[in-house]
Amino acid sequence: MSDSRPILEARGLCRDVGPAKAPKRIVDDFSFQFYPGKVYTFLGPSGAGKSSILRLFNRLDEPSAGDVVFQGKPACDYPPCDLRTGVGYLFQVPYLFPGTVRDNLLFANDNITNERMAELIRITELEPNVLDRDSESLSVGQKQRVALARLLATDPKVVLLDEPTAALDPTITERIETVIRKLATEQKLAVLMVSHHPQQALRVGDEGLLIVAGRLIEHGPVQQLVNAPQTDQGKRYRDRELT
Amino acid sequence: MIDLGYTEVLLSSALMVLALVLTFFWKIPVQKDIALGSVRAFVQLVAVGYALKYIFDLESPWLILLAMLVMLSVGAYTAAGKAKGVKNAFGITLISMLFGSAVTLGLMLALGIVTFEARYVIPLAGMIIGNSMNAAALTMNRISTDLRDHAPAIEAALALGKSWRTASRRFQKEAAIAGMLSMLNFLKTVGLVALPGAMTGMILAGAEPLKAVLFQIIVGYMLLGAVSVTSIMVLELTVRQFFTRCHQLLRPQG
Repeated sequence: MSDSRPILEARGLCRDVGPAKAPKRIVDDFSFQFYPGKVYTFLGPSGAGKSSILRLFNRLDEPSAGDVVFQGKPACDYPPCDLRTGVGYLFQVPYLFPGTVRDNLLFANDNITNERMAELIRITELEPNVLDRDSESLSVGQKQRVALARLLATDPKVVLLDEPTAALDPTITERIETVIRKLATEQKLAVLMVSHHPQQALRVGDEGLLIVAGRLIEHGPVQQLVNAPQTDQGKRYRDRELT
Repeated sequence: MIDLGYTEVLLSSALMVLALVLTFFWKIPVQKDIALGSVRAFVQLVAVGYALKYIFDLESPWLILLAMLVMLSVGAYTAAGKAKGVKNAFGITLISMLFGSAVTLGLMLALGIVTFEARYVIPLAGMIIGNSMNAAALTMNRISTDLRDHAPAIEAALALGKSWRTASRRFQKEAAIAGMLSMLNFLKTVGLVALPGAMTGMILAGAEPLKAVLFQIIVGYMLLGAVSVTSIMVLELTVRQFFTRCHQLLRPQG
């Protein structure tokens, strides 16, 4: 099997915040292996630490303990800027830099070709003429897809999506979900997505991870995690979210 | 030069009394500030006058350097107080202003524009440090506010694999302009809107206007140099305080 080695791995990740004398643990001993070509959905209540885990993978934050391993090598062995081009991050609220969409793609990768730009526009289901539009003139849905195209311009192997549809209406959400599926199936990327909605996890995800109070409570095929959780916390989460 | 003494100062205080009377009848509650300010200005300036006379008479290089160090420390402390939430703010403003002043004054001495005598060096240092102080305060205040307020923009760039320097470049440019703006405006309007202090002082002291003008031009370039060096040093040192070695933005933790 070609995908027998994980592309990304968390080993005992912890993250403490707050004053050194009384720190608060927001990620607690998180370990997991992620493989290419799959969508992993992080589920759990608000403030459970899902986004905090994602930030550790991109090294936007430093773990207090534990390691991230990317392509078999500890993340701390990579120059942080190199790691981040391999493990891309999409924020909940898209931020586009001043200028055109083309400027934004060039900012991410100044060697990008016109053909690659056109391909990214196609993958993210944007209109071909969007490249020369001012980033400020776009709708939120378009901005989110441009942010995704910009992230893909660095040719990442792993894509971290932090509630990418939280600010979008249902029609746009559906389009973005289609794009997310394509990233795993066509581009063979490992996609790690935080979502508040189990229904969205069922539509998009392959594997589900339930995070509560910074800990990985349960994981497995997303249908099983959402419809037939094995743990009490999993059942409580299902009952609260699906009723 | 016009011969001045305490009698003339006393006579000129009639204008201060005029200000007091006017504000009293117009019910503008600043009489206390006017009285206190006028007395303070008198005491401070007379004290500085005596101190300068002592330093000028002694002509000791160490005393000149000590006087400059005191001016620098007070200036750096004042500038650091204007920026909120910057670690090592005093150290940053002190180093930046020291560097800006040393480069500018050093160059003027090396080029032979002035000699290392108290009557030249101390007034020039006063001008340099005063302008550097304002530039340091404005630059530090602007960059620290922008880095805090624009965290999403900075993290968006960091997450794409950009360095802290690239991620904060746009805000660094804006902060540098903020720090240098008053000097740039001064250079544009000098002579048209107001006659600057150094030149006015020389003319009042009996110098030829053209000589005073040439000296003022030198002072203008000198201050521009000092302000630019100080602003850029402040940026270099301040921005680093907001990032880790791994190019992570340090965010205030709640």
